[in-house]
Amino acid sequence: MSPDLIVQQALNGISFGALLFILAAGLSLIFGMMDVVNLAHGAFYMLGAYVTLQVVRSTGEFWPALIVAPVALGLLGLALEPTLLRRLRGRHLDQVLLTIGVGLVIVDLIGLFWGREIRTLPLPPGLDRSIDIAGNAYPTYRLFVIVFAVALAAILTYVHRRTAVGALIRAGVDDAEMLSALGVDTDRLFAVTFAVGAGLAGLAGVIAAPAFALSPGMDVDALIYSLIVVVVGGLGTLGGAAVGAWLVGPADTFGKVLFPQFALALIFAIMAVVLLARPSGLFGRARIGR
Amino acid sequence: MIRAAAAVAAMAALFAFPEWASGIEGSRYAETIVRDMLVFAVYALSLDLLIGRAGMPSLGHAAFFGSGAYAAAIASSRFGTDELAVSLVAAIVVASILATAIGLLSVRASGIFFLMLTLAFAQMAFAVAFQWNDVTGGSNGFSGVRRPTLAGMDLSAPDTYYRTVVVAFALVVALVWWIARSHYGRALAGVRENERRMRALGYDTARIKLSVFVLAGALAAVAGALSAWSFRFVATSDVGLGRSVEGFVMVLIGGAGSILGPIIGAAAVLYIDRVLSSAVPYSQTVLGVVFIVFVLAARQGIVGLARAAAVRVRR
Repeated sequence: MSPDLIVQQALNGISFGALLFILAAGLSLIFGMMDVVNLAHGAFYMLGAYVTLQVVRSTGEFWPALIVAPVALGLLGLALEPTLLRRLRGRHLDQVLLTIGVGLVIVDLIGLFWGREIRTLPLPPGLDRSIDIAGNAYPTYRLFVIVFAVALAAILTYVHRRTAVGALIRAGVDDAEMLSALGVDTDRLFAVTFAVGAGLAGLAGVIAAPAFALSPGMDVDALIYSLIVVVVGGLGTLGGAAVGAWLVGPADTFGKVLFPQFALALIFAIMAVVLLARPSGLFGRARIGR
Repeated sequence: MIRAAAAVAAMAALFAFPEWASGIEGSRYAETIVRDMLVFAVYALSLDLLIGRAGMPSLGHAAFFGSGAYAAAIASSRFGTDELAVSLVAAIVVASILATAIGLLSVRASGIFFLMLTLAFAQMAFAVAFQWNDVTGGSNGFSGVRRPTLAGMDLSAPDTYYRTVVVAFALVVALVWWIARSHYGRALAGVRENERRMRALGYDTARIKLSVFVLAGALAAVAGALSAWSFRFVATSDVGLGRSVEGFVMVLIGGAGSILGPIIGAAAVLYIDRVLSSAVPYSQTVLGVVFIVFVLAARQGIVGLARAAAVRVRR
């Protein structure tokens, strides 16, 4: 590999990692609070991408989707948590199974409404060009994804560490039962957490929509990548999602260049090594067996 | 006794289906549906060894179904023989090796973590099947799979192949029935109910879990091989998450931890997938909603509901 190519692929990897962070953050947040791996996360992401398609079709603009899709997905999460998940409170495995059913329904309905063919979206105006980096043309949209993810990480970290909501979330992740005993309405907290997690999945869908094709099956890809990220980084923490994303993104990108046949196998190999060395993930808390 | 007699009668009725149904219109089509229901019943029964018997919720079972399907297909096209035993052994060996590898990495975890690990590792098998064009045919799938011969007897005619599937199904049912009643089966139930206590009693629970994981993988490979011969085709979706989810849905709708449950579940899902889907465009939504309702309100599945109803009637 020439140095130019290395720089270019490194940027690609970081950009992909940035998307993975947005995607995995929601999954990790929901797990941290509710001990539920939301297997509909990929379907939420897919729905976010298709809402983006709809927004672009209706308004001709990409940017409103950044608000519309996360809000729509957040509302969906806000509706689903009390009606479905709450009925199985305390039965974590059954809650996980429930999300499988939710995912099946969402993906099928997307196919009904928007069709099952592969679709692409144009890059948003202003970000459809390339700029010169180290003598090479580099697409600005990928740089935008990096900047966006870093800004989002900063906001999430601020909310998490410095605000009252963040304090509640941290307390809930630590010990939701104790928080409830202290008089906090954990039902509402769980609903909001689920909504925010779903909203983040939708946001990842918006960001991914102009860069990747929209098609059935994108939900599975997203789910698998985000699971790998959180397993590597450690579930339930924002830092884990970030570390996992920055590791898996570049590894996947370089893997695809160096061994195109077995790129996916490479990130699974990373996952296997991390699991053998640190079963709860690099930044995880000891949750194995729960 | 009555149960065993009923089971034998049911198997005989299934075996003779081509005869007694031959006059009925659409019986050819019905025969292929029943055949595929039985193939997937084998798959669901194998997965239930993990979910229902040992309490190991695997969401990666398609890895073994699919690798078995590919191995059987490749064996008959590369080894120069269509002998059933050769292809079947190839399927079982390949899936068992894969199950040992994935099992070693995942059986230490339990519950949700086990679910995630099996899901992720199975997706690795999917990635290999998808990208390894020369061997698997990649995204085009592996077509032109030849149905096997048994000691020189050609099994490829529809009725003959149907009966082969019935026999295989009956053997797997007998095996699962025998396992459930054996000392080993009770050890699995012990691991499911309280793994720590089993360990305290001196059982090597990691070994029990790994062994049942490999056993279930091997049986799934049998289902995969049967599927490859049924459709004369293996698709990457046979190794994909969708296939794993399908198995889970079958087991849960039918009723985990029983013999009848996975069979009924497989029949129900196949009905929705094949028959209902030709009538309405939203069959997967129906499947998802049915699954959600069962998880929410009838976690014991159709068999559990029937048992509860029977208890109520007796009172």
